Amino acid sequence: MPDTSLEKTTQSVTKRLLPARGSLILNGILVVSAWLATMGFHFQQWSAQQPASTTLFLLYAAVTTAGFGGWWFLLRQIQGFKDTSPARKLWTLLVGGSVLMIVAGTVTRFGRISAPGFDLGIGFDLDTGVALTFPTIVKMGIVSLAMVTFSFLLLQRLRSLILVKRSHSSERNWKLLIGLMIASSATTLFMQPGASQNDWQNVAMVIVAVFMVVNAFRLSWIVFLSFKEKLATLGLIFLLGLFILFSLGTGFENSFGMVPRGLEYLEFYFMPLATFTQQAAVFGMIYCVTSFLSLLFHLPTSGDYEQRAGERATMHTLAALVGQVFDADRLFATIAASPVEAGSADASWLVMPDPETGTLRQHVVAAQNLSPDQIELFMDCSELVDALSEDTDGFLIREAAADHRLNVRSSDGLGSLFVVPLVARDERIGALFASKSVVNGFERDDIETISIFAAQASVAIDNARLFEQQVEKERLSRELSIAREVQRKLLPQQAPNLRGTSMAASSVPAQEVGGDYYDFVKLDDDRYGVIIGDVSGKGTSAAFYMAEMQGIFQSVSRLASSPSEFLHHANLALAQSLDRNVFISAIYGILDLKKETFTIARAGHCPAATVRLGGESRLIRTPGLGLGLDRGDLFRKSLVEEHIDLAPGDVFVLYTDGVVESRDVSGEEYGYDRLLAIVDEYRHDDAEGIHAAVLRDLRRFLGAEDYDDDMTLVVLKWHGLPLEVLTGTECVLIESH
Amino acid sequence: MSNFSVGFRSSGAVQILDLQGELDAHTAAELEAAIQKCQKDNRVHILVNGANLMYISSAGLGVFMAYIEEVRESGGDIKIAALQPKVYNVFDLLGFPMLFDIVETEEGAVDKFSSPSAD
Repeated sequence: MPDTSLEKTTQSVTKRLLPARGSLILNGILVVSAWLATMGFHFQQWSAQQPASTTLFLLYAAVTTAGFGGWWFLLRQIQGFKDTSPARKLWTLLVGGSVLMIVAGTVTRFGRISAPGFDLGIGFDLDTGVALTFPTIVKMGIVSLAMVTFSFLLLQRLRSLILVKRSHSSERNWKLLIGLMIASSATTLFMQPGASQNDWQNVAMVIVAVFMVVNAFRLSWIVFLSFKEKLATLGLIFLLGLFILFSLGTGFENSFGMVPRGLEYLEFYFMPLATFTQQAAVFGMIYCVTSFLSLLFHLPTSGDYEQRAGERATMHTLAALVGQVFDADRLFATIAASPVEAGSADASWLVMPDPETGTLRQHVVAAQNLSPDQIELFMDCSELVDALSEDTDGFLIREAAADHRLNVRSSDGLGSLFVVPLVARDERIGALFASKSVVNGFERDDIETISIFAAQASVAIDNARLFEQQVEKERLSRELSIAREVQRKLLPQQAPNLRGTSMAASSVPAQEVGGDYYDFVKLDDDRYGVIIGDVSGKGTSAAFYMAEMQGIFQSVSRLASSPSEFLHHANLALAQSLDRNVFISAIYGILDLKKETFTIARAGHCPAATVRLGGESRLIRTPGLGLGLDRGDLFRKSLVEEHIDLAPGDVFVLYTDGVVESRDVSGEEYGYDRLLAIVDEYRHDDAEGIHAAVLRDLRRFLGAEDYDDDMTLVVLKWHGLPLEVLTGTECVLIESH
Repeated sequence: MSNFSVGFRSSGAVQILDLQGELDAHTAAELEAAIQKCQKDNRVHILVNGANLMYISSAGLGVFMAYIEEVRESGGDIKIAALQPKVYNVFDLLGFPMLFDIVETEEGAVDKFSSPSAD
């Protein structure tokens, strides 16, 4: 994998580095002019009818080498680095080669030079190598170009196959082969056409042949082909071998081929090129033979390779699914299908407990190639999963029909069964079943593959669940914040502004919602009710009872003439709905502005704190049961009201147990004494000031911002006269006395 | 996390539950379980000893309310003894002494079980 990506980057770099068009044109001009120059050389020889001088011939050799060297690179550039399949490479090579050979073959058939009884051969003076006629030169030029071009194309195409899965050594071997081919070709520079090679050249040929064989066994590309591709490539390789044989391989006198005596033309054109082309042809045929045989032998195993490829593809799908967990059904279906898609099973299914019914009974949640109903007919999946508990690696039933746990006949198409558990974070979350239609159908690598899928699937399912939980958590927290908002609206938005009094109140739930309640109500022109309540427990259930309490207060308070009467009615109303272990403590007080009295009744609630102007402080602790503690007459009898004649400066503080029971880090409670002390200290302030002072003191005491319990504080102060006529607290005192 | 425990003792027919620690919304379930166990064993003369009970919240008080009726219907009672003053205050504020026998000492409570006239 990293190999190809590296290759791709280097390719793109090369592509960018080469100013493609400019260099192509330049190279093209070089090649064409070199070719024309070689034609000119042969034309000069023909017109002089004698071989050129050695100097000129060496110059010719240099120009030819440069020209065809340029042609080699030009061809490589034109072909580019396209990553096509081997079959396509071979096919295009065949087509290109055919065109070239047809052109060459056609050219050789025109302008034959023959006289009756005298064969001029292909039209060269065999001793000097000089062309006898002008058309011979042209034919030679065209045929040579075609044959060399085909040999170049052949080598370049083979190179791209040989260097699949390249390594340093394979690259080196390839370069050595080409280098040796060039070198051994160079030794034939002064050889006469038709002459046999000398010993040195034979040795060079042997060395080249060794490297040909070495390179001919670079056949990695075959492994990656599917069965069909192998078959197609096999045919193409066969054709290519034949084609090379009949084009480049047979170009001499008395042989048959596509280009009659083509190689002879090439020899007269430039001997080293002919040698090179012949070597290319030999190598091409060797490579065709090795790849043909290799393809043939790999054909039977291509199924295995395809299974591997399927496994890899399926693994990719599964791995991708780990990240895509929004759709549980799709996840289950993919997991259930994975063994089948990988080719490791004929049918497979996923078994899990039903999360909706909450039962631990396992059932089929997704299946591939068998319906859940069929599966349930065949076996009790739940029972099989239970049998897994001792066996964390899964178990294999080699012959399904013979296993007493399965209700399978041999005609049912279920020969063997493999069951593997899905385990996430040490917890078994289900099992993956895979079946094959044949007995003993599972090989070791099937089992390994399915086990790996199971492990992967476990992670995916676990992720999906965590994600779901997270979503659920977020939903709940959204719901709760809505509930908190609703509850906040059940409480008065601001304390009423009454003549002669100031009031301040606040409530902070410990959780999103709480069971604390306070409220004000106008009973008539002169009388106002104030209530504080605390539902036992905390959180959502307390919040619901708090809401009910609010409803009762808003509807019943105006009908009740006294605090105890209201509490009695409230107790009756609540008795219907309160759980037996839930109760509500409350204090209800009625402020009469005309009579200047405050009447309060306490139903099990923390005693109200009161501080008078002179500093006398006390807790108003009248007897009284909590609401809901008794549903009969005892509650009513327990209540005792207290009437307080108001004096200017009287402060009343109502609160819930969250205030006095708040504990600091050392575990000490805030307590009643601290409360009374701080109220006493700030008794000259108005209700707002006292309220703020208490909260400040409480926070300082706790040393922390969050509270353990719901905390509600209501402060009420009687100033005595309408505030608007007062200029200060002192005035009130003087006036009221 | 839980700093609350219930100890089981018996004195004759009386099942004594020794509460220790803090009884709040989190630990209330333990006391519930203890009382349920007593009911199942048909030992309904239940005496809750609060000598080591340091704190009780409204949820803790709710446990007593949840079972008193059933226990009394089956001929038994839940009596509470030896509460710390601060804890007693919480019981007292809500009026529990009107509903439960809350006795200063364990012996006194056991005696009350044996003399039904005191119920």
